[in-house]
Amino acid sequence: MRQRLKVAVLFGGRSVEHEISVISALQMISAMDTLRYDPIPVYIDLSGKWFTGKPLLQRSFYRNFDAAAAGLENVTLLPQPGLGGLSRTSAPNSILPVDVFFPLFHGRFGEDGCIQGLFELAEVPYVGCGVLASAVAMSKQRCKTLLAGVGLPVLPGCLVEKPDVLRDLDAQLARVAASPWLEQFPLFVKPNNSGSSVGIGKAANREELAATLANVFVYDVEALVEPCLSDMFEVNVSVLAGRAKRVSVVEIPVATAGALTYEDKYLRSGGKKSGESQGMASLTRVIDPADLDPGIKNTITDYARRAFDALGCRGVARFDFMVSKADGRIYLNELNSPPGSMAFYLWEKSAPRLLYTELVDCLIEDALDRAGWRASVKWEMEFRALKQ
Amino acid sequence: MLLRELACLILAGTLCAYAYRRLLRYLRFLQQEEYKGERYLDWLKERSAYDRQASLVIAATLLAYLATRLVAWAWLPSLIIVCGAAALWMRAMLEPDPRVTGKLRLKMTERAQRTFQMCAVIFVIFAVVALGLTTRLFSCELGVMLAGLALAQSLPFIPFVASKALEPLEKHVQERLKNEAREKFLAIAPFTIGVTGSFGKTSTKSLLGQVLNTALGPTFWPQRGVNTLMGITREIRERLSPQHRYAVVEMGAYHRGSIKSLADFTPPHAAIVTAVGTMHLERFGSPEDVYRAKSELPQAVPADGILVLNGDNAGARRMADEFRKKTTLIYGLDPQAGPLDCSASDIRFTAKGSEFTINWQGAQFKARSPLLGRPAISNMLGAFTMAVALGAQPKLVAAAFANVEPVDNRLVLRPGTPTSYLQDAYNSNPVGFRAAMEILNQIPARRRILMTPGMIELGNTQDQENRSIGEFCATRCDFALIVGETNRAALVEGLKAGGMPEDRIIQLPTREAGFAKIRDMQEAGDLVLIENDLPDRLEFVERF
Repeated sequence: MRQRLKVAVLFGGRSVEHEISVISALQMISAMDTLRYDPIPVYIDLSGKWFTGKPLLQRSFYRNFDAAAAGLENVTLLPQPGLGGLSRTSAPNSILPVDVFFPLFHGRFGEDGCIQGLFELAEVPYVGCGVLASAVAMSKQRCKTLLAGVGLPVLPGCLVEKPDVLRDLDAQLARVAASPWLEQFPLFVKPNNSGSSVGIGKAANREELAATLANVFVYDVEALVEPCLSDMFEVNVSVLAGRAKRVSVVEIPVATAGALTYEDKYLRSGGKKSGESQGMASLTRVIDPADLDPGIKNTITDYARRAFDALGCRGVARFDFMVSKADGRIYLNELNSPPGSMAFYLWEKSAPRLLYTELVDCLIEDALDRAGWRASVKWEMEFRALKQ
Repeated sequence: MLLRELACLILAGTLCAYAYRRLLRYLRFLQQEEYKGERYLDWLKERSAYDRQASLVIAATLLAYLATRLVAWAWLPSLIIVCGAAALWMRAMLEPDPRVTGKLRLKMTERAQRTFQMCAVIFVIFAVVALGLTTRLFSCELGVMLAGLALAQSLPFIPFVASKALEPLEKHVQERLKNEAREKFLAIAPFTIGVTGSFGKTSTKSLLGQVLNTALGPTFWPQRGVNTLMGITREIRERLSPQHRYAVVEMGAYHRGSIKSLADFTPPHAAIVTAVGTMHLERFGSPEDVYRAKSELPQAVPADGILVLNGDNAGARRMADEFRKKTTLIYGLDPQAGPLDCSASDIRFTAKGSEFTINWQGAQFKARSPLLGRPAISNMLGAFTMAVALGAQPKLVAAAFANVEPVDNRLVLRPGTPTSYLQDAYNSNPVGFRAAMEILNQIPARRRILMTPGMIELGNTQDQENRSIGEFCATRCDFALIVGETNRAALVEGLKAGGMPEDRIIQLPTREAGFAKIRDMQEAGDLVLIENDLPDRLEFVERF
């Protein structure tokens, strides 16, 4: 029998979406084909330490996380090519072999290109978007600016930076009010560099705008102000780039009050009585809604594919669109890579059907392919300048 | 012959295993008493947490052994001892591990490890001495069992002895940690604001820390109610970073001179005094002594510093005249008490929290906050005044209150649809309970639901107090969910006496069942007060 591929699944991380990442990762690991892969859980705790060990596979373990008591091993990835895996911090020359790295973080340091930069330096195969696509996707407003540049319709918004607000709040409030689409309240205010709805707020007037901005600055140094369009509904779709590029069926997530809250996304159990959150997979949603205009579906599919290419994404990403109820106009709002629960719930309803296990196969295959292309790039030059 | 010795050896080994697990448990309480030997002994006496389990097993084994010695079968006494050892082993395995169970866990810090090692050494010394004595006086079996009894009884005292033995070393270590922390603090040199007061100081510190962090710059503040030298030392070592530009330090007055030593440790450039009360008179002597003790903070502020005082409190207001600084500002809710630089008006409590207008030097700023109650508003005024005096924009500070987090789960509103929650998880007392019920009635709602296990730790008045709070609540809520057993009878009796119909009094075994019931019966506009939400304390009783 062929040796199983050692897949280090990295999750946790120093982000407000820490828990969601744990949920996504454990879900993904349980979907992996264990005949082909040997999953190695690598948990980055809230202080930034990396741990590995079997107890990490148990969800209940995180309630009272105690690395020493559980006998976890402290590891790290050195930014040095050719080591062949993770280094044990207790014995730096001792290597825990890894074939592929599978980052499953949400939010800062994991979804924003930081950890991808480390993978690049270490020259290891890894799943998902590279540095550039991750970094751009993480900064909501800058991502929209880029996509608008390739002709995709995006929701207008205004970026407000904390240092500017600390200098002069009133000037910034006036700037927001003067921005197109933002003349009228209510407005949505959210952290520019974070997902999962943490810190998101709705402002009905100028005082509330100041309060929602102040709240965002607890979580981020950039706030994004967007119009709160009541006659709109959200449509999400996922794109996957394996050896071929595919787009999933679309879904309409169902919000209980206006925008999706953190509770909507992660704390509700989607009609099930299990009580244990399944992350994004537990959201109440309509997948492949029959009553959605096929024209809108096709346009969204096309936009998602174009946006994926424009940003140079890899792996799997989920694009969130807003559709106007009045005239059917479509706006690209944001993207997540990797999305919560890897959007497997969309892929298993798509045609052709792709089960979570197969989705993981595609992603790992793609990671290995890309590592191969990178390795074929010539970068070494003979010393010339220094030899003169 | 060999059989007897083997049985003794097994029993001795099992006792060691038991001691290992039991000492860890006692160590947890020593740690909770901050390694203070005397306080640990007080706890031991108060809870009479002496060893019963091992002592009973060994005593029973001893009796059975003595009874069977008269029987002809020579192997029977040895078998009894092995059975006793097995029973003791089971007890040892049933001991909960304090490192992974319970609300306040044992943290194996370096100090805890040192203390535990010392406990082991002391245990071994005790064991050698006890065995040496008893086996000389009696037979091998009797000796082991008697020594075992003595050792089991000595177990709770071993952590005390260990803490005493380590005291000089720990003093030395603490001194080193303190010096390192002080050096680190002075090297980073954040602008430091000291906060003291007989009440409200912890909340005010936390509020000021949060709003400065949002509205002015990176701010360090010790968490929760940390206000002692060692507590602050630890926070500085673990959480202060070179990026911090401001530090808000709560300074507790435990006796004359304690604020002064804290002010020497982290020298304040500015100070807030929230109140000079008459609490803890037994510690200070006279009200004047309390005033003097609190005055050490304004004294430590340099003449060009900032002093912010609560004008509603006569003692705090008095400091304005006595300690003249470049900037002295007074905040308060009561304009009758004297002139105010910062006050609040239009105070309203709604389903979203509190709403109020801050009046600051002739200008008005609308503010809202999830915090409830007039004391919370007073604390916010104190934080506002200091933040603005330090150069923050008043409007931004007022805006920041919309998102502040409460410091210790004291009366906080969590709005939601269809159900909003008013949480008062802080250990409940009759005054706090009534205040929470009043807030419950001030906030607009369609149905008001109370969920409570009642109040505990009230000594012999507990039944009486719970009955009378039941009566008080009967007309102030639409439904009462009584969770747990402890105060059920008294609460139900009180609610009925107050005139609440029986079908509106719902009795449930646990808080989980309570939450399930609330979800089950939910309607739009429900407001639920969760009073005294302390599952561990109520349901978890330690046995020794």
